[in-house]
Amino acid sequence: MFSVSRVKPSKPPVVPIALIVTALACAGVLAQSVALPNRSDSVKFAVIGDNGTGDRPQYEVARQMTSSHSKFPFDLVIMLGDNMYGGQTPNDFVNKFQQPYAALLAANVKFQASLGNHDRPENVSYEAFNMKGQRYYTYVRGNVRFFALDSTLMDPKQLEWLDAALKDSREDWRVCYFHHPLYSNASRHGSSIDLRLLLEPIFLKHGVNVVFSGHDHVYERLKPQKGIHYFVSGAAGQLRKGNMRPNDQTAASFDQDQSFMLVEVAGAAMYFQAISRAGQVVDAGVINRQLRPVS
Amino acid sequence: MRAAVPQLWHFAVEHLLLLPIGAAIALVWVNVDPEGYYRMAYALTFPVNNIGLAVFFALMTKEVVEATAPDGVLHPWRRALLPAIVAVAATAVSALIFVGAVNALDEPVLAIAWPVAFATDLAVSYLVARLIFGRQHPVIPFVLLLAIASDALGFLAIALFHPTEEHHLMQGAAIMAAAIAIALALRRARVKSYWPYVLVSGALSWYALWRSGLHPALALVPVMPFLPHAPRDPGFFVDASPDAVDALSRFEISWRHPGQIALFFFGLVNAGVPFRALEAGTWGLPIGVLVGRPLGVLVGSSLAVAAGLHLPHRLGWRELVVVGFIVAIGFSIALFFSSALLPPGQLRSEIHMGALLTLAAAPLAFLSARVLRCGRFSR
Repeated sequence: MFSVSRVKPSKPPVVPIALIVTALACAGVLAQSVALPNRSDSVKFAVIGDNGTGDRPQYEVARQMTSSHSKFPFDLVIMLGDNMYGGQTPNDFVNKFQQPYAALLAANVKFQASLGNHDRPENVSYEAFNMKGQRYYTYVRGNVRFFALDSTLMDPKQLEWLDAALKDSREDWRVCYFHHPLYSNASRHGSSIDLRLLLEPIFLKHGVNVVFSGHDHVYERLKPQKGIHYFVSGAAGQLRKGNMRPNDQTAASFDQDQSFMLVEVAGAAMYFQAISRAGQVVDAGVINRQLRPVS
Repeated sequence: MRAAVPQLWHFAVEHLLLLPIGAAIALVWVNVDPEGYYRMAYALTFPVNNIGLAVFFALMTKEVVEATAPDGVLHPWRRALLPAIVAVAATAVSALIFVGAVNALDEPVLAIAWPVAFATDLAVSYLVARLIFGRQHPVIPFVLLLAIASDALGFLAIALFHPTEEHHLMQGAAIMAAAIAIALALRRARVKSYWPYVLVSGALSWYALWRSGLHPALALVPVMPFLPHAPRDPGFFVDASPDAVDALSRFEISWRHPGQIALFFFGLVNAGVPFRALEAGTWGLPIGVLVGRPLGVLVGSSLAVAAGLHLPHRLGWRELVVVGFIVAIGFSIALFFSSALLPPGQLRSEIHMGALLTLAAAPLAFLSARVLRCGRFSR
């Protein structure tokens, strides 16, 4: 029904090229360019979570994103919540969002945010988050329908809305993202089982393909859970070094440095990379689109 | 052994232990087997919180209704004026400090739960006040009135400022009017059994509240005042005599134990807090009420006195500080407010843990009484 495989870089045939390639690999560029097909007609996006610290690591991750953008021109960044920590004054929006991502914003990259427990509720109206005043909303890119949810206040009305919106969606891919992970093996928070019992039946009923969350300040890719692919990517600013407790559910994880993700949906395949602050590809693979349950 | 079980049950009921026992089981269960716990909790939430708890609030209302009779703390009504003014200040200061605290603790979204800072656990506060001051001290009615007024303000705040619920007040008001009209008709027809009041008016009232988007656990609150009651108040939390014939006392005799069972399940269903879900914002509620209540009680009392009202005899600033700690105990009502306001998830877990932590106000009340030489420590 689905498969996940690590994409192995091909070996260059000649020595001079190998030297150049090695140098590029050290800069973290090669693996990115190899793993992602970078097709012109694909949906390309980046994933950041728990980013809004305004500290140096956030800026360094942002620089790495900008560097990736020059080779992999994503036009969308999905934000998994905790987009702002601490003060949330207009100045903070400059220091913790506009400045670090200035190059991406200048390149017309659109940020689509979901809120976390450290975000102020009124941030739904911050123009650059493109939430249009809504705590939860949906939008389409190519053959992908995104659902940005508010896991901090998962009220019955939101669940009803999600059920109806998923039912109405006709796109090939259904991607949900929100702050609190339904599955996580980080030691600090771990899985939000109360939310899992509410959301997972809806995801299964409507054939959600992939779910991105943050909250735990690590990167983790879960083995498919009941056929759904889950990612935790909550280290684009914050980091809990050594906090992962990988187990049977864990397909890959990284907790040694800040990280973000690049994703490309090309037809029935979703390629992904997790990239560290230093530019190393710490995980990469491809997901083949799952079959939908017959409704 | 056979005799020990009823004795144990009686002890647990008399000492209000069923709710804390339910809460303790929930805390252990959710941290050992979270999936099993949440499956149970989600299955039972509706019947426990919306139906079972109606019995608890009916019993609380019964105490208030009786308190309006001669000898009651609410007789005459103007006695409630001073505590009502103090309650406004005490809850407002608590809520302001709560909002400031959650902002300072970097979880500003928790501020939507500010009405939880209004909650006072009537029964536990009364118990603590009695233990510190004794049954006859004028502090006792003051504490009770303060607690009733604070909770009433909390219910009002939840109804008016619910963060996610949409209210349909007009429809609900029409149905509620019918429920009250029926209760009034039953009273005028001198119906002595409580059943028609509960089954007809109570059911209609429940539907009215549910339809309005308000909490249906309060369904019997507007109905209970219409039940015929004893001519004089036997006292707060004094059990009705087994041979009492008035409808209100008969209701209490029949539903006292089911009400306690409902409280056990309320604790079980609502107090399950996974420790890993907690962040700094958890401290917002305890800080809000442990600092805000004593401060607010002092501010409110000063304003009331400045407005020309008189504090009860033997109630000075030292007693007021102790009272502030006593009415900071939110526990069951704070859990209820939190469940009514917040959907499942991290925020609810944090506020629920905060509600449990407000129990720390009880030892603080004893400590402050000892330091300030109040009540039993005055000798």
